[in-house]
Amino acid sequence: MKPRAFQYHAPESVGEAVGLLEAHGDDAKVLAGGQSLVPMLNLRLTSFEHLVDLNRIAGLGTIERSSGTVRVGAVVRQAAAERSPDVAVGAPLLARALPHIGHFQIRNRGTVGGSIAHADPASELPAVALALDATLEVSGPAGVRIIAADEFFLSTWETAIGDGEILISVDFPSWGGRCGFAVEEIARRHGDFALAGAAVGVGLDEDLRVVRCAIGLFGVGSTPVRAHDAEVALTGGASIGEAAALAAADIDPPGDVHATAMYRKEVAAVVVRRALAAAIEEACL
Amino acid sequence: MSTTTGTSSHSAAGRYVGQRVARIEDPRLLTGHGRYVDDIQLPGMLHAAFVRSPVARGRITRIETKAAAALPGVRAVLTGSDINPRVHQFWHSMLGPPPEMGGQTPYPPVRPLAHGDVRFVGDPIVIIVAESRYVAEDAAELIEVDIDPGTPVLGYDAGTNPILVHPEMASGTNVSEAVPMPDVPEVEAMFATAPHVVTRTFRQARATNVPMEPRGIVVHYNRFAGDMQIWAATQSVSEVKSSAARLTGLPEPRVRAIANDVGGGFGQKMMLSRDEAAVILAAHLIGDRPVKWVEDRQENLTAANQARQEAVEVTMAVDAAGTILGAKVHFFEDVGAFPSGTGSSASMAMGVFPGPYRFPVVLPASTAVFTNTVGKQAYRGPWMMETVAREQMMDHVAREIGMDPLEFRRRNILSADEFPYTNCMTLVYENVTPSETMQQALEMLDVEAFRAEQAAARAEGRLLGMGLGVYLEPSAIAFGMLSSDLAVLQMDPTGRVIISMSTGNHGHSLETTIPQIVADTLGCDIADVVLIQGDTATSPTGPGTGGSRSAVIAGGAAQTASMRLREKIVQIAAHLLEASPEDMEVNASVVSVRGTPSKAVPFAQVASVAHMAPDSLPPDMECGLEVTARFRPPGMFTWSNAAHACTVEVDRETGMVKILRYIVSEDCGKMINPMVVEGQIAGGVVQGIGGVLYEHFAYDGEGNPLTTTFLDYLVPSAAEIPDIEIGHIETMSASLGGYKGMGEGGAIVSPPTVANAIHDAVAHLGVHPTDFPLGPSQIRDLLRAVAT
Amino acid sequence: MTLVPINLTVNGERHAVAVEARKLLSDVLREDLHLTGTHVGCEHGACGACTVLLDGQAVRSCLLFAIQLDRSEITTVEGLAGGDGTLNRFQAAMQECHGLQCGFCTPGVVVSMTAYLADHDQPDDEDLRVALSGNLCRCTGYQGIVNAARLSSRGAAVAGGRPGSGPTA
Ligand SMILES: Cc1cc2nc3c(=O)[nH]c(=O)nc-3n(C[C@H](O)[C@H](O)[C@H](O)COP(=O)(O)OP(=O)(O)OC[C@H]3O[C@@H](n4cnc5c(N)ncnc54)[C@H](O)[C@@H]3O)c2cc1C
Ligand code: FES
Ligand code: FES
Repeated sequence: MKPRAFQYHAPESVGEAVGLLEAHGDDAKVLAGGQSLVPMLNLRLTSFEHLVDLNRIAGLGTIERSSGTVRVGAVVRQAAAERSPDVAVGAPLLARALPHIGHFQIRNRGTVGGSIAHADPASELPAVALALDATLEVSGPAGVRIIAADEFFLSTWETAIGDGEILISVDFPSWGGRCGFAVEEIARRHGDFALAGAAVGVGLDEDLRVVRCAIGLFGVGSTPVRAHDAEVALTGGASIGEAAALAAADIDPPGDVHATAMYRKEVAAVVVRRALAAAIEEACL
Repeated sequence: MSTTTGTSSHSAAGRYVGQRVARIEDPRLLTGHGRYVDDIQLPGMLHAAFVRSPVARGRITRIETKAAAALPGVRAVLTGSDINPRVHQFWHSMLGPPPEMGGQTPYPPVRPLAHGDVRFVGDPIVIIVAESRYVAEDAAELIEVDIDPGTPVLGYDAGTNPILVHPEMASGTNVSEAVPMPDVPEVEAMFATAPHVVTRTFRQARATNVPMEPRGIVVHYNRFAGDMQIWAATQSVSEVKSSAARLTGLPEPRVRAIANDVGGGFGQKMMLSRDEAAVILAAHLIGDRPVKWVEDRQENLTAANQARQEAVEVTMAVDAAGTILGAKVHFFEDVGAFPSGTGSSASMAMGVFPGPYRFPVVLPASTAVFTNTVGKQAYRGPWMMETVAREQMMDHVAREIGMDPLEFRRRNILSADEFPYTNCMTLVYENVTPSETMQQALEMLDVEAFRAEQAAARAEGRLLGMGLGVYLEPSAIAFGMLSSDLAVLQMDPTGRVIISMSTGNHGHSLETTIPQIVADTLGCDIADVVLIQGDTATSPTGPGTGGSRSAVIAGGAAQTASMRLREKIVQIAAHLLEASPEDMEVNASVVSVRGTPSKAVPFAQVASVAHMAPDSLPPDMECGLEVTARFRPPGMFTWSNAAHACTVEVDRETGMVKILRYIVSEDCGKMINPMVVEGQIAGGVVQGIGGVLYEHFAYDGEGNPLTTTFLDYLVPSAAEIPDIEIGHIETMSASLGGYKGMGEGGAIVSPPTVANAIHDAVAHLGVHPTDFPLGPSQIRDLLRAVAT
Repeated sequence: MTLVPINLTVNGERHAVAVEARKLLSDVLREDLHLTGTHVGCEHGACGACTVLLDGQAVRSCLLFAIQLDRSEITTVEGLAGGDGTLNRFQAAMQECHGLQCGFCTPGVVVSMTAYLADHDQPDDEDLRVALSGNLCRCTGYQGIVNAARLSSRGAAVAGGRPGSGPTA
């Protein structure tokens, strides 16, 4: 289990990296934490003539909190984000999701941007980005673009990042007022990719009525799924059980050796209900 | 919680034996200085990789190797037509030669590499030998193999499939081994009139041993010297040596096999595999440079032999009072394409099926079939399907007749006054304590408290359950080549000892436990004893480590050798002190006259005399201080036993199972090192838990494996496992020292124990699980089926 | 095949090695630097046997290319015990609690837990088991390892029992 040969590049600026990607086209691939890419290279499931390592580019590894958002640089390690007070305060849903990723050794190297750019539908962070309406900044030959999360995830391992483009940072909007967040997932073992999971946020008014709701599902299709109908229903006064049933109603999850499609669909409703209950409880505190 | 019963006149003294002696092997292993096969680097060493079949069954129409052979760094590209004709003989010592050579075991066709056709996904077709594993894998990708795929043979009904896995086998069927159900009219009559007759079929999920260190071998054939040196990840260096000699035609003394540290085996490293045979033959062909093959995890998961693809149909008759009247048992095994031997463990399973209960009669049958999947081999308790079936059956029958499974067991379990007991399959149990271990486990669990907790939980809609499993472990299986072991004990002129044995280090702690026995028996410090093992040049031929044999048989040999050496030491000392040997005592490496501590000689002085001053020895005594002892235990089996109990919570909505408590009461006789005993128990239990809840080596309908990485083949991690609580009962065995083997039991009875706990949690809903794995999706399927 | 020179500081010692770009850190440590304590059990990040410290953080060496690490500091299992072979606190606890059998997973366990326990004060049992979930062990059933982590972090293994034992002791 050894990777095919490749040429290694360690650009020190985004411009240089973009130049390399442009020059080598489909033969080049970005390497961030390597926690998804390197296993695939080792298994020879994929290979590239050029690997463009982002780890030596200054400026992609910072977390900045402003009034409305937390901006996480693409190569911020998942472990660093997990420990960040700015993330804890400004993007608590992200903070809740991170410990579910693999094991601490994986998070020490894996990056926030890598997880989102990799767009595994069973991953936590893409669902968090989707639920929070994050915006993603990419830089490419034509300059910088901002992509909304709901236009970013196209299919399994496929995103709106274009040829020659690199994900630079992700802006997670902060929620104000009385709110609560939760991530619930069912995985075979601790650290496994989820069979089904939900990342949710709720905002309550003075009377503890749900006035804001965001639900991102993962592990239930070819992309993370936003449960808009369930969100509308919940803010319109539906029970969490009803909202959860709605969230699962339209999904069409895959079946595999770990769980049938029906199982995933059933359990999606369970994790949404449990996550909503936990988030509301937190918001009520 | 601990009790000791029985005595043994031969029990070693207790300075080390019975103590939690810290392991001698640990410092090197903890600091990264162990020596595993992949750590071997030799000048000029080459690296091997295989091209393997991507389909389960098919005809090879073309193999094109030119591009691979031309790749810089590639030394050899060898196919079945290069390798297979070089096989002199290929069979396993434990199973004996094939019928055409006068033996009994009908082996599957002998071919290290596929030739003409392929028979499972992973079947090795080409071996590449190159300057590095990276280059070898590059070359493998350049090889073109065209295969005309055929319909694979899959499933337990392969015996009736007209397509043959091995068309050249004389049997002309896919049945590898079968025993028909005996026709006994009296028994049929009993079944016809019995108040209760219950039938169930229990299915295990195919699992694999996955030692954390995959298989690996380094082979150096020096064709100028005509000898071969092998480093291997093996449970038996003697077997590697013999197999390599048989394969190549080299005389056995010309082959040396070494295993330093081995990263676990659990049965997977007992017998030489086809892949390893191909490496040996490739190195033999290349002739001057060492060849290393260390498989990667994907090879280990797809091409190393596996186990547990088994089903058992049980029909049990019970009287109105809940007394067992008898059973009919049919074992079904899918042994894959290239099992070790016939692959069947049914004959052993039949004998021990009655377990710790009074079964007036058991009628056994078995069917083992070849399929186009990876072959079957031993995995910790290879016959354990009997316990898996019996212990689940106890619960199913009890529920069917409306009795508490605990009460049903109490009614049928053998009690202390019934031993020795000959079971209906003619095996004799003695020095075992099934009732006592069951009682101890139940006390540790506190059944009443649990039942209250369960009722309270149920009132909240939560599902809790408790399960029990009891078994007898036929340890230290002693027949044929497994009957005995040899210890060679030498005291050097400084008074320290080296003991050489056929055992090996793959986690069993023998480097510590054997010296514990020797030090106590001789009366010296443990630091003065060194075990030499794992090298055919320096240690005797023997079966190695496996089958829970080492404590009893290797331990017995070590103790016998130590007693003999001690006798000689005492004789020399008595002679030097001009006293009678009967009046001598030994303490801390000093021999003295009892009651007169001033009249004493240390071992060092005795040893020095023995080696250097033959004239000071008693007349007629041979000089030197070395003894050999071969030990054969008194019985064909040395029985140990245990009872396991566990509690679980089943999440009704998600089907997830959480094990709340896991309890073991174990009787393995005299414990040489309780810490090591507990480690073996915990390790086995977790493998068994894995087999129920997580591990499943799955194939699709085309014979394609679906779980070929550690992201899909789910080995339990620490986060899924509770503390394993252990109680001990020590009943001495009849063997020397009172020892019993216990290496496999943890893995044998934990699966039905966990399954019974799940069953207990959901039985009131009308759910009665019989099949593994019991993953969340399967549990939801069961719950959904009864939900209305 | 192009070899690129890099500098690695491993266990405090500087090494200049020439590596092929694709060579995994695990292979460079084992083959080029002869530090065979770092074990390879899966090469896809799942088993944890290959765990090393990179600039003090526990990471999988099978998922790094050595070429990425020019001028980095790496600590392997060989670098944890004292120069005279004195075991570190967790290593010593592993021996006392029988946290290893075959020893193959052990380097990854020891590296991971040495780093984890240095960063975490008073982890509870659940924390410890989750922290250990990235290191698969096929031999021990984790009992001895968990006990070692308890002993090493709290100075006591199990309430009411000694390390490695159930209610017997
Ligand atoms: C044992 C194990 C368990 C795991 N468990 C989980 C889990 O439970 N949940 C989970 O979500 N993940 C899990 N992962 C994956 C882990 O989270 C990865 O870190 C993550 O998916 C990818 O991040 P990375 O930085 O490692 O990216 P890499 O592996 O370096 O890259 C992944 C992909 O993203 C692309 N990419 C990366 N960064 C950028 C960028 N800035 N711009 C453009 N493209 C980019 C790469 O080209 C590549 O295609 C697990 C991994 C392992 C080995
Ligand atoms: S070898 Fe790196 S995690 Fe298994
Ligand atoms: S001690 Fe053998 S794998 Fe952990």
